[in-house]
Formats: sequence, C-alpha cells, structure tokens
Amino acid sequence: MFLTKLALKNLIRYRTRTLAVGLIIAFAVFFYILFDALMAGMNEMSYEGIIDYETGHLQIVNSSYWQEEKKLPLDDLIPLDLLRRIKLEEVQGYRGSSAELAFQARLNNGINELPVVGRGVVPEDLLSVFSLADKFVEGEMFSSGEQRVVMGKRLADLMDVGVGDYVILLVRDKNNTFNTIEAEISGLVHTINHNVNNFLVYMPLDVAQEALAVDDVVSKVVVRLDHKEQAPQAAGVLESKLQRLDGDLAVYKWDDTDALSFSSYAATENQIILGIILLIAAIAIINTVILAALERMREIGTMKAMGLDVREIVYLFVIESTGIGVLGGCIGLVMGAVGVWYLVRFGVDFSAMAQLDMTSFGVPVLGKTHGVWNPNAFITVFAFGVAVSFLSSILPGYWAAAKDPIQAIQHR
Amino acid sequence: MALLELKGVTKIYQQGKIEVPALRGIDLTVEAGEFTTIFGPSGSGKTTLLNLIGCLDKPTAGTLLFNGRELSQVDKKGLARIRRENIGFIFQSYNLIPVLTAYENVEFAIRLLNKHDKKELKDRVMEILAAVGLEGLENRKPNELSGGQKQRVAIARALVKEPKLILADEPTANLDSKTSEEVLEIMVKMNQELGTTFVFSTHDPRVMEYAARLVEIRDGLISLDRRRDGTGVSH
Repeated sequence: MFLTKLALKNLIRYRTRTLAVGLIIAFAVFFYILFDALMAGMNEMSYEGIIDYETGHLQIVNSSYWQEEKKLPLDDLIPLDLLRRIKLEEVQGYRGSSAELAFQARLNNGINELPVVGRGVVPEDLLSVFSLADKFVEGEMFSSGEQRVVMGKRLADLMDVGVGDYVILLVRDKNNTFNTIEAEISGLVHTINHNVNNFLVYMPLDVAQEALAVDDVVSKVVVRLDHKEQAPQAAGVLESKLQRLDGDLAVYKWDDTDALSFSSYAATENQIILGIILLIAAIAIINTVILAALERMREIGTMKAMGLDVREIVYLFVIESTGIGVLGGCIGLVMGAVGVWYLVRFGVDFSAMAQLDMTSFGVPVLGKTHGVWNPNAFITVFAFGVAVSFLSSILPGYWAAAKDPIQAIQHR
Repeated sequence: MALLELKGVTKIYQQGKIEVPALRGIDLTVEAGEFTTIFGPSGSGKTTLLNLIGCLDKPTAGTLLFNGRELSQVDKKGLARIRRENIGFIFQSYNLIPVLTAYENVEFAIRLLNKHDKKELKDRVMEILAAVGLEGLENRKPNELSGGQKQRVAIARALVKEPKLILADEPTANLDSKTSEEVLEIMVKMNQELGTTFVFSTHDPRVMEYAARLVEIRDGLISLDRRRDGTGVSH
C-alpha cells in the first residue's frame, strides 16, 4: 500500500512528463475510438448499401443457383407460380418483395462495349424493396413491357450515353444463342452502392425473360422487412414454408452474402490501428520508465539499501506506468466520447472534404458519414492501453531494479 | 555478544584485466551496542568495508558473520531481507525520498517490516522524530529542510525500525561543524539509550572524538583498533 502511494506521488512529482506521456496515450485512444466509430458508421452504410440495393433482408434462391450465383447462370431458376403460392406477406415484418432475373450482358453504345449485369425486374416491386426511387439523378423508372432500361449514372458517363439514348445489351439466352436487347435509357441513378453505379442495368422482367428465352422464371426473390434484426426469425419461417413446396429452395439472409467484405476490411483496419496505438503506448512507457530510472538511480540504491527487493522496485515502476496508462486512457475516453458524439450528431462529409466522390473508390459513402457508438471499442482500447502500460514497464523496471545497489547509491 | 565477525575478509575489484585489492584480509569483531568509527585516508577501503558489513556486497574471500550467521551463502534476496530487518543506513547526502515528507520518509522504513498496526506505527514515527529534534517538521518535504534537519530525518529513518546495526558513511561530511556536533550527539544518545550498534566512517578527526572505538584502515588493512577504555590492539 505504501509503495502504491509512493508510486502515485511520483506520478505527481513528474507531472509534466506524466501529462505528456498520458496525452500520447490519450490521443492514441481517442484516435482509435474515432476511427472505430467511423468504421462502424461506414459498416452500417455498407450494410445499408447492400440491403437497400442488392440483397434486401432475405433472398429466396435455389440452393444450387446460390453456389453458382457469381456466374449468373440461367439454370436452377425459380418458377414464379411456385413463389406465388408462398404467402410472403404472412412473414412478420414483411414490407415487400421483388423477383429478379439476373444475367450477364455486354453493354454497347455503338462504339464501345462493357460487361454489365442485367436485372429483369417488376418496376413497382423493385421500388418497394430497394431505395432507388429517390436516387434518380435524371429520368424515371420504366414500366413493365417497355424496351427501356435504368442504369447507374457513372456507367452512363463511362459509356457516354444519357437519358433518351439507345443502348444495346448483348446476351446469351437459355439455349446459349446470342441475342440483343435494344433499349432506351429511361433513367439514371446514383447510389452508395458501387455495383449499382457501375455495373447494373435494370430492365422490365418480361422483356428480359423473352430475350433470354426463359419461361416465367426468376433467379431470386428479394424480400424487404421492416428491420434487419427481423431477418433471422423471418428466414426460419420462410424456410419451413419453402420446404413444403420445393426442397431445393432456400432462404439466405442479407449477412450470408460474401459482399460484406467491407466489414472484414474494417475489422482488419481496426486491428492494425489498435496495434499501432499499443506500440506507441509501449514506446512512450518504456522511454518514461528508463528516464525515470536514470533520474532516480540514487533513490533506487537507497531503497535497495533499505531492504526493498527487486520485485518491490519493479512494482513501483509498474504502478507508475499503469497510472499513466489509466490517466491517458481516461482522457482519451472523454475525448473519444466527445468526438463520437460529434460524429453521431453531425457526421463528416468526406466527399466534400476531399472534393471526390468516395463511392468511385468503392467506399460506401454518399453524403455524410455518421459515427456509431460502440461501447466495446471504449472498453477494448482502454483495457489494452492500460494493459500495455502495465506490461511494457516490467522489463525496464527490472533493468532499473537490477542495478547494483552500491553503484546506484553513488550514482551522480 | 559479537554482532559482526570478519575473518580474513578480502575484497578484490576487477578493472578489466587488472585486479584491484580493496581489502586484504580484515579481521574485525564488533560487539552489539558498540559505537565504532572507521577512519583512514581516501581509497583505504573504508566504504568497501562498510558495504560488506551492510550486506550490500559480498567478500571475495574470508568469512563475514552477521549476528552469528555466515553471509557468503546468502542470496541477494536474503541479503535484502537482512538489510530490511537489521540494518539502518545513514548516507553523506541524506538520500531521502524527495516526494515523501519527513514523516513518510521515516514511516517508509518501518512499513517495510509489516509488524506494526496503524496507531503503533504513527506513535513510533512521531516518537523517533521528536527524539531527533524534528517535532513540528514532520510534514515538510526534504527540499523544505536544512542539511542538518535532513540528516536527522535520515537518522530517524535508520533508527525507527530498531535495527541491530546502523551504518553511517561520512554522515557529517555535508554539514557545518555545529550541525555535525548536534547530529553526532543524537547518534551517541541513541546508541546509549537504545543500545543500537553504530559503525560509521569519517575523515574528520573531530568526529572521532565521539566514538567509543576507533578503527583505522590503511591500504585495505586494519592498522589501528582501539577502544576509549584502553582495550584493543594496534596492528
């Protein structure tokens, strides 16, 4: 207890140094919390970007098709009359569903050609499931039966086409025969979803089915619920309904898709940032303990003469360093809380700051990015900060405590 | 009863490839309760001898018995334990802990023993501070005390745990003559009242007047060992 008191008094004795090292740790903690909040915010946006424009909350797909989905095959499709027998509206939280027929195509403007993904959809259903209605920057949605398409503004810019222009989609139909779909661009959209902006071309489902020589079938049905948290329960209910109809049909939740790569990217980034922060804290603490030991060499010698053993002297340094870690951690938590509050309330407009459209880099940010409160990040970084302060002082503490007492007493 | 028994104690320091003998076969017995001064010119081996007696170092050869216990087989932790329980140090430069008050500096030494309750501990510290003339100054930090007052704190710190032995290395070297006398009188008083064994080194002939026993060291050997009562031998 007395040694703890002495260690804490030493913290105050070198208050400038204590504060300086504490602030290094505080800024490291602050930066991590802020970074984590932003990453969590971007994660949320990326989830929304996927749910709102690609997966909805649930997808009903043939399980064989799901395995091959990236190739967009025209096999293992789902007959629409089968789906009509499932009363989707009975699922709790159901808001809408959209059947879509996805296919590979090449978009041609008469001069250039680009690979794209075609999606045959029922326009009213599409708008009830996906948040496209207010993302039209030009034009409007097509109606069923029309030879018209909607695509991303960026894709249109790349192909140098606009609303009212005609484009050709080159496709291979069910029989592996080449076919073309000539269509007028009815509208252009711009979203936070990179795929929608760059690769997707929407067209009426009936037009797509005819061009692809398939019956009244679709690749999948996307279901929208009130909240994403309802997805697991709704998936279970739907799964049991489907089992009774067709054993090959399965339900996949929004987070089953491998399009959630941003989430794992963010997690990796967090680990790297945490590692850098811990390294900074460790270097600061090691430096502080060595400096303190050199300055207090005679005190160490005196304490050894008084009979303190190595462990007790190490304890003094460890408590001092842990104290700095706790102080820095607390300041960092307060700064972090203020920073996250600002991010949650006001957000940051990275696009405006960088004068760049962040979605063009695959970052799911359109407009302001808002932070997300993550108490785990607060606890984690504080605990790691204190633990590193504690651990990194042990070795230099031993170095100091192992000094020969005679030399230490005579140290000048 | 002998508190310290040194037989043929040799200490050799290695400086690169050269061996430097600091002590060359010391035979010395210090009885409990003695007030002994070790004197001699600089480099004669006084401090080396004090370091060995204080369990801060081990002899190269010979035997050293502290309170009947042979120290050559005791490890560093064991030596620290002996210092903690049995030996008090008084240094030339006081060596007080700057962040602690006079009271806390003294309290520190007794806390290490873990054998007093809070009330006992406080009474003991206040008593010893009063005995060295520091009543009313217990809340001052070392930088708020004069040299003489700091050395009194150091004496109180050494005495508070009632050690068997107090070692003082040139305890008056940084003090003026009047303060030196005051400090020495306190040490003599404590020696007489508590029966604590004192061994201190000095250069100062005036300081030797206070000692009951004088031991002179020259070139690592005892050249004179004389008690005030006339007993002892000249080597």
